[in-house]
Amino acid sequence: MSKTAFRSRSIAAIILLFLILSPLQDSIDLQRRRMGFERRLMLMPGQVAGNLILGGFKGLAADLLWLQVESLFHSGQHYKMLPLFQSITFLQPKFITPWAVGGWHMAYNISVKAKNEEEKQFWIKHGVDFLAEGIKNNPERYDLYFELGWTYFNKVKDYANAVKYFELAAKFPRPEYVDDVLAHAYEENGQIKEAIATWERILAGPDTPFRQIAARMLSRLKKYGTTKVETYQ
Amino acid sequence: MVKALIIGLNTFRETLRLKSYQIILIFALLLLGSSQLFSFLTPEEQLKMIKDVSLSGIEIFAALLAIFTAMTSLRNEFETNTISTLLSKPLRRSEFILGKFIGSVLAITLSVILMAAVFSTLILIKQHSLEAGLFSATFLIWAEMLVIVALTLAVAAFASTAFTLIFVLFLFLTGHLTGYGLELAQQAKNPLLQALTKIFYKVIPNFENFAIRDEIAVGVSVSLSYLLKTFGYGLIYTFIALLLCLYFFQFREV
Amino acid sequence: MDEKIALKIEGLSKVYQLGRRKEVVALDNLALEVKQGEIFGLLGPNGSGKTTAIKLILGLIFPSSGTIEILGQKHTEVSVKEKIGYLPENPYYYRYLTGPEILNFFGRIFSLPEETLKERRENLLQLVGLENSGHLALKHYSKGMLERIGLAVALLNDPEFLILDEPTTGLDPIGSRETRNLLGRLQSEGKTIMLSSHYLSEVEKISNRVGILHQGKLLALGALRDLMTEWKASDIEDLFVKVIEWSKH
Repeated sequence: MSKTAFRSRSIAAIILLFLILSPLQDSIDLQRRRMGFERRLMLMPGQVAGNLILGGFKGLAADLLWLQVESLFHSGQHYKMLPLFQSITFLQPKFITPWAVGGWHMAYNISVKAKNEEEKQFWIKHGVDFLAEGIKNNPERYDLYFELGWTYFNKVKDYANAVKYFELAAKFPRPEYVDDVLAHAYEENGQIKEAIATWERILAGPDTPFRQIAARMLSRLKKYGTTKVETYQ
Repeated sequence: MVKALIIGLNTFRETLRLKSYQIILIFALLLLGSSQLFSFLTPEEQLKMIKDVSLSGIEIFAALLAIFTAMTSLRNEFETNTISTLLSKPLRRSEFILGKFIGSVLAITLSVILMAAVFSTLILIKQHSLEAGLFSATFLIWAEMLVIVALTLAVAAFASTAFTLIFVLFLFLTGHLTGYGLELAQQAKNPLLQALTKIFYKVIPNFENFAIRDEIAVGVSVSLSYLLKTFGYGLIYTFIALLLCLYFFQFREV
Repeated sequence: MDEKIALKIEGLSKVYQLGRRKEVVALDNLALEVKQGEIFGLLGPNGSGKTTAIKLILGLIFPSSGTIEILGQKHTEVSVKEKIGYLPENPYYYRYLTGPEILNFFGRIFSLPEETLKERRENLLQLVGLENSGHLALKHYSKGMLERIGLAVALLNDPEFLILDEPTTGLDPIGSRETRNLLGRLQSEGKTIMLSSHYLSEVEKISNRVGILHQGKLLALGALRDLMTEWKASDIEDLFVKVIEWSKH
């Protein structure tokens, strides 16, 4: 075969293969979007993290930023952690820990340092919104539902919302304490029947320390209509 | 095919003896081992760190090895003139190129297996189990390396060593970024720019297809159909690159 | 196709383009035939086009014009290489392989059956005097040893047509004589040999016919005795000098 003929056939074959590749790439892109493998476009502070993103190694970049968070936390520089939480969760929205820690940090540690009540409420709300954003990115896991439920329960004292989020957490594989806290939230929200049903479910479940707690709580609820009697005695 | 295998096995044996291959591989294994050092993190964070560092490390080092191996194996044939003797025998140039590809792939496969073994051991120590996702991520890294080896051979078939190294590294980087370019173009709302970036996106090898390490590290699972599609993409692109290599090599004077 | 001709070259030219206007003519309209069973010497000073001609014959480089036929087939056919043996100038092989291993490697390229390969390997190593160096990696070989293993590689497929580019480079006088004797023996077995060399005395001792190249042109072609008579040369060196001098005018 002459040089021209060989080269023409090679080019034709290559073009044909690219034509086959194109719809395959579209299919892969679609599947990546469905699986939640999003591309996130942003400009990054920090050269190392920026270079890593440019190489497409977002996870590694997120890890390096997380090391910075650890360092700032131990040195008490709480406000400086905030942009890092935003960056890490933007880079790797499926990384649960920064959502959970970030939300807790805003609602608890930073709100406590607020100069006035208005600022305090601002940071609590900010923490709640941050956790809600985390849930949107991770709707199939119990973790952030629980964190948000706990923030409503413990910090905001909004028991209706606490119940709402604990119930959502209870739909997914979870540790035993989730149901325990849900039962307490039902009680605080005046849903005694639901609280009793939850304690009974725990009691009927696997043998864990929470069964003993459930037995104790059930007997108090049935006797006194509340689980808090002995605590305040 | 048999002759290609003979060339391939010889190339594989030669590669294992290359100092650059040995040094890069040892360095990679040491670095993977050092991801144990993040003991000040919580166990969950430490696991994530090990997975991120290890999978990213495997990809970067495997890519470096792929480029050096393929480039050196071809360059040495020209520099020592062994290629003249080889091509004076009943050996098609396509068999020669296929042999170089096979040999380089064998060397990379060995390196990925070794790195994956270190990585798996670390995970087993920490987690006492190995999830399937880790193997999927490693498998796709290996598939990505097939493309890189083939591309390196294609460029080395006509270019100098320095150009080959720079160009393939550039392709490796660009191949991770073409998706971002596409998004940027869509935001710019310029039809010509959008058309050009779309062509660019389809032509430049999309290495992001193979990048599931970030998701695997946080426990997201990947379906078999995705693995097969991406592997298929890798195979087709590898074939394109090998055809391109032959395009340049078939009539190259030796 | 004439089967008594081992190599037929017609109108063979090779022009290298250097930039837009400059070109170098490495070979200019070469035409020659090498008969089966003869030893043909291709002579010429450095840069005359000898290696270019050999590379064109082997398909390592490509002609600008002209045709080449080897043993009645187009030189580009892969099957024709089953019948050719080639010893390059300054042969070099994979450093970490031993002599037997390099013969195994090339033997498998020729798809030789294992038994045949084993027999030929042992015979050839003995023939070239390397039977006791089987354990040594090629990186430890001297220049002379590399030439000898190169010759073994060239003979591995029992070729009909042998092309040798400077076969006695690096060999001492004894080695050179042994090579000459071997080539004579191969010729008596019916093999055709084309050797390119600038060791004129070596070529004189064994060649039936010679061709003298200078600056890409074939200046003289024929049986050595006939050429020496034609050019009134006392020996091959004298012939060589006279032909080159004549071309300058």
